[in-house]
Amino acid sequence: MKSSVKATSIHAAYGPRLVLQDVSFSIARGEFFIVIGPNGSGKTTLLKILSAITPFQSGSLEIVGTSMEKYSRKSLARIMALVPQSVPEDLPFTVRELILMARSPRMGLLGLEGDRDIQLAEEAMAFTGVEPLADRKMDQLSGGERQRAFIARAICQEPQIILLDEPTAALDLAHQVRIMDLMEKLRMEKGLTIVMVSHDINLAAMYGNRLMLLKKGQIVRIGLPGEVLTFKTLEEAYECPLLVDESPLGNFQRVTLVPQKFIDGGVPSKARKESG
Amino acid sequence: MLPRTLQLTAVAKRSALLGIFFFFSSLFALHGQQPAARTVTDELGRQMTVPGELKRVVSLAPSITEIIFALGKENLLKGVTRFSDFPPAAKKLPQVGSYVHLDLEKIVALKPDLCIGIKDGNPIAVVRKLEHLGIPVYAVDPRDLNAILETIVQVGALLGAEQKAHAIVSHMRARVGRVKSLVATSPRKPRVFFQIGVSPIVSAGTQTYIHELIVMAGGRNLAEGPIPYPRYSREQVLGLSPDVMIITSMARGASFERVKKQWSKWPSIPAVRNNRILLMDSNVCDRPTPRLIDGLERVAEAIHPDLYRKKP
Amino acid sequence: MKPRKPHILRRICIISTLLLMVLGIIMLLGISVGSTGTNIKETLFSLMGVEKADTMLETIIWRIRLPRVFLATLVGAALSLGGLVFQALLRNPLAEPYILGISSGSGIGAILGILGGLSPFPGVSLAAFAGSMATLSLLLFMTSGKTMLKKNVLLLSGVMVNAFCAAFIMFLISITQDDRLHNIIFWLMGDLSMADLPQVWLLAAVVIPSAVLIFCLSNTMNLFLMGRELAQTMGVNIKFITATLLVATSIMVSATVAACGPIGFVGLVIPHLLRLIVGPDHRVLVPACLLGGSAYVVLCDILARTLPEQGEMPAGVITAMIGAPLFIILLKKSGS
Repeated sequence: MKSSVKATSIHAAYGPRLVLQDVSFSIARGEFFIVIGPNGSGKTTLLKILSAITPFQSGSLEIVGTSMEKYSRKSLARIMALVPQSVPEDLPFTVRELILMARSPRMGLLGLEGDRDIQLAEEAMAFTGVEPLADRKMDQLSGGERQRAFIARAICQEPQIILLDEPTAALDLAHQVRIMDLMEKLRMEKGLTIVMVSHDINLAAMYGNRLMLLKKGQIVRIGLPGEVLTFKTLEEAYECPLLVDESPLGNFQRVTLVPQKFIDGGVPSKARKESG
Repeated sequence: MLPRTLQLTAVAKRSALLGIFFFFSSLFALHGQQPAARTVTDELGRQMTVPGELKRVVSLAPSITEIIFALGKENLLKGVTRFSDFPPAAKKLPQVGSYVHLDLEKIVALKPDLCIGIKDGNPIAVVRKLEHLGIPVYAVDPRDLNAILETIVQVGALLGAEQKAHAIVSHMRARVGRVKSLVATSPRKPRVFFQIGVSPIVSAGTQTYIHELIVMAGGRNLAEGPIPYPRYSREQVLGLSPDVMIITSMARGASFERVKKQWSKWPSIPAVRNNRILLMDSNVCDRPTPRLIDGLERVAEAIHPDLYRKKP
Repeated sequence: MKPRKPHILRRICIISTLLLMVLGIIMLLGISVGSTGTNIKETLFSLMGVEKADTMLETIIWRIRLPRVFLATLVGAALSLGGLVFQALLRNPLAEPYILGISSGSGIGAILGILGGLSPFPGVSLAAFAGSMATLSLLLFMTSGKTMLKKNVLLLSGVMVNAFCAAFIMFLISITQDDRLHNIIFWLMGDLSMADLPQVWLLAAVVIPSAVLIFCLSNTMNLFLMGRELAQTMGVNIKFITATLLVATSIMVSATVAACGPIGFVGLVIPHLLRLIVGPDHRVLVPACLLGGSAYVVLCDILARTLPEQGEMPAGVITAMIGAPLFIILLKKSGS
């Protein structure tokens, strides 16, 4: 089966500074693929390259089996939708108007919405639970509501792949889980491929089908969460002491930060035993 | 072939129609008869067609208004510009905006046969527009005193007042001659500073009427030079050391007193020391009209008071 | 089931029709009113071809008032649209059509033209147009490349260019010591009184195609508001669209300023006012600004002609005197 995304030896640089070096990976259809790594590892740049916002210097990139170069912006927009990390707060539109704008890649010049477009917007709003906010102005929403509105927008774009740039960064706990559950639901019910950049390793562990760990523009490890989230790889990437064990909620990793006092005072024996 | 009676009727009808046609055309012909239109050439060499008998004229400058009144042809004048204040009767005429911002609508509403304007004074765009609307604009160019005399003659010819025009011009020439011969008797050529602006201090250069008046009145214009309205700092005026200072009326007499008082703080200026600072009505030294000679006589008196005191 | 007409189109049509009616009434008023009096009935009959008024009134209506009202219409449309586009492009509510150095650049061109003794049309107009094109090119050259798309770079550079040119204009004014000073000051105040049909047709030839282009890109302008990156992911070629809108709008505004001098407060106030009334969707705002802006300037011109007892005020004075308080009221309303 055609992979959703296939990247081969991507090199990207901002002037003299190398941002991504020899990055190769492929993402299968319907996969929940999460990219993690410290700041400056090139995660966001990677996402921008995937959505054709930033160019890359060498390597090849295929989206749904076709080389990136062959896509026009509009045709790419019909396949891929982005939920950016920061969204302008002062948008004068209502939630419904924002979501309807996502139909532009499929509409004519003036973007006059038809019945189907309006229908799809309603469905997207229902899916993300923002219908009660439909006629509220964007600048009157809370952070979590705004994020869900932008996700609804991305869904309404009818893509095959959704890219999300640290969607839970500014949200409080309840919303964080809600967003991740939403993504999982999208994946299961609509078969969308989810490509997410996240700084939250534990959420990545709980939801990701496959993870990619980046450090300074290079891949440290890519694979199943169990393979990527080991003490060795994480310490290499994040350069700080971390504890990795199994979460009480199920068979996925739980990563714990280790404050200095525990190192000085000694790591409790149980943890030391398990981390080996 | 039509029966005879019908043929006759047809002929009768045709004749009747022809007759009616000729009757009406002759009516029109009679009605349209006017003194033949003539072609005139204005002072810029532009040719235009005006009615043989001018009935409605609009003046586009206060000086033109003055000239028309002086020629005794004010009955033709149907509209004037805003500051046409001389003679006083001119103030009662309908106004068509100002010299630099003419009101096209009002001019058209007055249905003039002709407008008379000044080159470089009226904006060319308005003049062109008037001509496009079918209203000829006769432009005059009174660059200096001789040109003013010529303008008076031309306008006189245009309006059918040639005799009066020549009389005015002769009178003006005579007065000029008298002034010239009078001032020729004086050995001195006083240094004159003619102030037309207060802040900033502005004087009049060579290409102005004021300069001509000063020269003809036997004085030396300290502001002579290529710039028509040069600016001076107070220091520069001190440096020029004028013997006579003439200040034109800006608004009211009160401001003249203030200006004179300001200069009196600088007694190093000969004009201040000898109390030779005088006020002059600006309308007689900057308008190209017969009154310019009044201005000449007053300037001469200001510059050579001794010559005038000698008169009985 | 027959598909329902998309409701946004219905909104566009309703609002456009309403504004068109308002514009029509104000234009009729503009042609009926003048310094020689008000003749609404005669004007109406003359325009409809029902009955000709007497020759003098015919001349006044058709050859003096009508070109002037047409010019005011085009000026209002161009400036409002210019303000709207720049506010969307630069994502800044303070943006207005002259912001990229157009007013001061054309001012320098016009002053140099007047000092050089050129005739007002086509001489000074062409010089003004050339001036604004020169400052625009300078600005684009200074900010070319990646920096242009950064949020406030264009705006700030435009403000700097305007400030520098304004200083240069003051210098030129200070060294002018003859009657041409009068012409210069007149030009800088904005003047609709020298309207001539050839000028009007020429301006229409620039404004109408630009307006059509901008209307076609109105949905794209909506997408612009979502931010550069997001807009790109929705199929918008940011660089190309920015350049196109910039150039088309600048040419449109430059031609307008070349025709009548810089008239302010139209491009700043009208888009905000209409946004409050019809909402932020550019597909509705573009026709609204076109029609609403035209009506505004024609109205201001009527006031400029009739308010003073003698002569007339420059139209720019009225647009400022109405526009500034209106803007403040708007600010207060949008704040609450």
